Amino acid sequence: MKEKTDVLQGTLALMVLKTLDVLGDLHGYGIARRIEQISGGILSVNQGTLYPVLLKLEQEGSIASEWGVSENNRRARFYRLTRIGRKQLQAEARGWEQTAAIIGRFFAVKAEDLK
Amino acid sequence: MRRPRRFLRRLVSWGTKRRDEERLQAEIEEHLALQTAENIRAGLSPADARREAALKFGAVEAMKETYREQRGLPFVEIVIRDTRLALRRLRMAPAFTATTMLTLALGIGATTSIFTLAHAVLLKSLPVARPDELYRLGKEARCCYLGGYSQDKEFSLVSYDLYKYLRDNTRGFSELAAFPAADFLFGVRRAGNAEAAQTYGGEFVSGNYFAMFGIAAYAGRTLTAADDKAGARPVAMMSYRLWQERYGSDLSVIGSAFNIDERPFTVVGITPPGFFGDTLRDTPPDFFLPLNTEPYVEAEADLNKYGQHWLELIGRIAPGARPGAIETEMRVELKQWLGSHWGEMSASDRAKFPQQTLFLVPGGAGISSMRERYARWLQILMAVTGFVLLIVCANVANLMLVRGMERRRQTSLSMALGARASRIIRQDLTESVVLSLLGGAAGLGVAFAGTRLLLHFAFPSTNGMASVPIDASPSLPVLLFAFGVSAIAGAGFGIAPAWIATRTDPIEALRGASRITARAGSLPRRALVVFQIALSLVLLSASGLLTATLHTLETQDFGFAQERRIVAKINPRLAGYRPLELPQLYRRIHDSILSVPGVASVALCLYSPPGGGWGAGVWVDGRQAPGPRDDNSSSWDRVTSGYFDVIGTPIVKGRGISEEDTAASRRVAVISEAFARKFFRNEDPIGRHFGQSPGASREYEVVGVVKDARYLTANLDQPSGPFFFLPEAQADYTKSLGALFLHDIVILTRPGANLSVAEVRQAMASVDPGMPIISIQTLREKVGLIFTQQRIIARLTSFFGVLSLILASIGLYGVVAYNAARRVNEVGVRIALGATRADLVRLVLRGAFGLIFAGLSIGLPLTFLAGRLLGNQLYGTAPYNPVVTMAAIVALGLSGLAASIVPAIRACLISPLDALRSE
Repeated sequence: MKEKTDVLQGTLALMVLKTLDVLGDLHGYGIARRIEQISGGILSVNQGTLYPVLLKLEQEGSIASEWGVSENNRRARFYRLTRIGRKQLQAEARGWEQTAAIIGRFFAVKAEDLK
Repeated sequence: MRRPRRFLRRLVSWGTKRRDEERLQAEIEEHLALQTAENIRAGLSPADARREAALKFGAVEAMKETYREQRGLPFVEIVIRDTRLALRRLRMAPAFTATTMLTLALGIGATTSIFTLAHAVLLKSLPVARPDELYRLGKEARCCYLGGYSQDKEFSLVSYDLYKYLRDNTRGFSELAAFPAADFLFGVRRAGNAEAAQTYGGEFVSGNYFAMFGIAAYAGRTLTAADDKAGARPVAMMSYRLWQERYGSDLSVIGSAFNIDERPFTVVGITPPGFFGDTLRDTPPDFFLPLNTEPYVEAEADLNKYGQHWLELIGRIAPGARPGAIETEMRVELKQWLGSHWGEMSASDRAKFPQQTLFLVPGGAGISSMRERYARWLQILMAVTGFVLLIVCANVANLMLVRGMERRRQTSLSMALGARASRIIRQDLTESVVLSLLGGAAGLGVAFAGTRLLLHFAFPSTNGMASVPIDASPSLPVLLFAFGVSAIAGAGFGIAPAWIATRTDPIEALRGASRITARAGSLPRRALVVFQIALSLVLLSASGLLTATLHTLETQDFGFAQERRIVAKINPRLAGYRPLELPQLYRRIHDSILSVPGVASVALCLYSPPGGGWGAGVWVDGRQAPGPRDDNSSSWDRVTSGYFDVIGTPIVKGRGISEEDTAASRRVAVISEAFARKFFRNEDPIGRHFGQSPGASREYEVVGVVKDARYLTANLDQPSGPFFFLPEAQADYTKSLGALFLHDIVILTRPGANLSVAEVRQAMASVDPGMPIISIQTLREKVGLIFTQQRIIARLTSFFGVLSLILASIGLYGVVAYNAARRVNEVGVRIALGATRADLVRLVLRGAFGLIFAGLSIGLPLTFLAGRLLGNQLYGTAPYNPVVTMAAIVALGLSGLAASIVPAIRACLISPLDALRSE
């Protein structure tokens, strides 16, 4: 149970960082929308789970936040990628690509290849 | 890098909790507003748009919970929050809290107080420096004097000469100290004071005794090797206890003179507080004297007798030395020493020479005679309290299960609102741990009071003398024990009900608790009650067996009369009398006490029953001398004329000791029936002769046979051993023997007379004001004291038995009442269908008695097992006593009936309409 959340949180964190990297400063809803659009299912039911992830990232110093005004003229919290966050994103992106490549190769292998 | 930063942030945000909550709330609002706006744009009605947004966002409370866990220091916060909540919940259920706490306090208190005693008596080291370096001689504690040059199994007591030989030749010990195995009492008064002598415990110790223990003087100095030399100035150390209690910590005590058994000594130092010598005993020494002053104080000195073994040894091993090597070395030395005394050895000593050996054992706990005496009892009590603790645990578990059931709706509601199971379990767990810790704390109070009470009853202190050095306040291991037991109990009881509660389907629980007909969760509760009943039966029958045994012991025929008899204990040796002055003294004591109004007759003796006897070997005239392996031992007593009438022992044949036995008349003896059986078999003993040494078999002529009486209190399950009585008037006072000093004055009062202790003391003072009376007791009290231990055990076990019965009944009541309450609907339906009230009562009772029978059938075999384990503590009473077992079963049945009749009656009084409506 715990493990599953951790994996989810880890993936979510990376998505958040990448979203902020691509789109610049955004509020929580904006991030949620964006992730939903790209990833499909992952946030369609539990958008709320995003906020603990945002908090964790902020505590780690990967993102920073400040109050601003949203497109419908409401006070909203805007998140922005920090220098630490950018480095972290690069490191984790490399890690993911390597992992994905390895797993991909494994899945590509057929029984006869191993003979 | 990221971790420490995150921790710092968390620490900071712990303080900014409220602002963070507000920020999160604002963000959620914003999020929902944006999503709603989006949905409206997509064509939904505002209400649907809001609903969709909320659904998409997910469970807000659960998210907040995760959020909170990430912020601040969640663990600490949650513990504090849950503890506060638990305390609030407990305050709201005072009956439950009080019952549980009381139950736990009794269980933990009983276990802890027995554990305190067991720890002090069985496990604790002496309060000395590095006790693990100490080793002592002898696997078994022996007492007190062994003569000759061979000892069975092992050489465990040594003479002074052997001690010196071992001390001077064994290199593995940095110090090897010696002290007597026997307890000593001294009559002490401060020199120059007119005060009467007081009796205190004391001990002779070798000069390096304190150096060996690594003990420094609290004030003044310790005894040294220089003090322990023949001809050295007699000096002594006083205990801190006596110095503080009797002399108000007066520093002028150091350097001043005290008369110890009327011999002047200078007190040079005070032992540190808490030091009680080398042995845990009822009367720890208040005076420590150098071994070499023993001949100076004692009329019959043992110090320079090579073949008299009376000293225990404890040594501190040198750094790096191995105990095994020292033991081997000492065995060789023992053989060498024995070899050098070959000329003095008897034939049997020489025959046993090859087997002579010795053993070194860890000595950090000191000499363990008390340990051996009480180990078995303490183990029984530990087992009994362990049982009680189990019953207590079962009861508390039951209470917790009920509480969990009652809270099911609340739990379900919490879970429906998004609370996670782990949080709910954590909350319930916190509550039960808090409750157990409170119970444990209360238990410590119970334990402290209980231990003090036990010590008070088990070791009644004689006035002025030191009492047993066991501290009633729990030590660190005991505290840890109590804490551990309560924490484990708490966690154990909390987790099961909490887990059961979170397993239930929220919908099911919310639909209505009264609807449940399945006996969900009732199996563990029933099992617990069955278990309780079984344990109760075991405890009840064990306590019944012990009580029956005590009764048999107390009402046995002691062979002497207890009514109207008083025994005053004196010790003429303490007042400095010399043997030749004794006949005169006895005459004066006799006459002085006889003149007290109300006294019918008086006699003096070496030992009055029950109190002991002097040992001797017996050689019967006209019979072959016993070989070295034949048992020719007997006990004997020295008494003044008319003794048997005063003590009330019937004369079976011939006559008792009378005025006609004088120093000038023929030497006579009166023997007991057991003596007659052992040494004269079927022959008529009157007129026969026997003696105490091989060459003197015509020493005494038997003039009478008396009934067997209990003089010795060991082996109470066996018949009294052989005994003979010698007239005081025929004692040889030209010799210097311990057996010449009569201790006991037996007084027979006139019917209806009320003799006051003060009058007896006054009569004694008119003989010699310097003679301390050690105690004055009625013979009945003296007899009662033999069974102190047995009585305490029997009472305690009975107390625990009754306690377990009550607890089991409460448990049973709980289960029956709870089940009856849950079956209200069923009862309503049954009534509606025509069941009579009697049917309903039977229905409930049948359930209850099913549990009782299950408990009894498990418990019954266990009672037999318990009886076997009690075995030799029962002094010949059969370990299977059908009356006791039946009584225990009846007691359990009756209290079971009492516990279930109330809920049964309540069940049948329900009106069917109410019952059905309660759905």
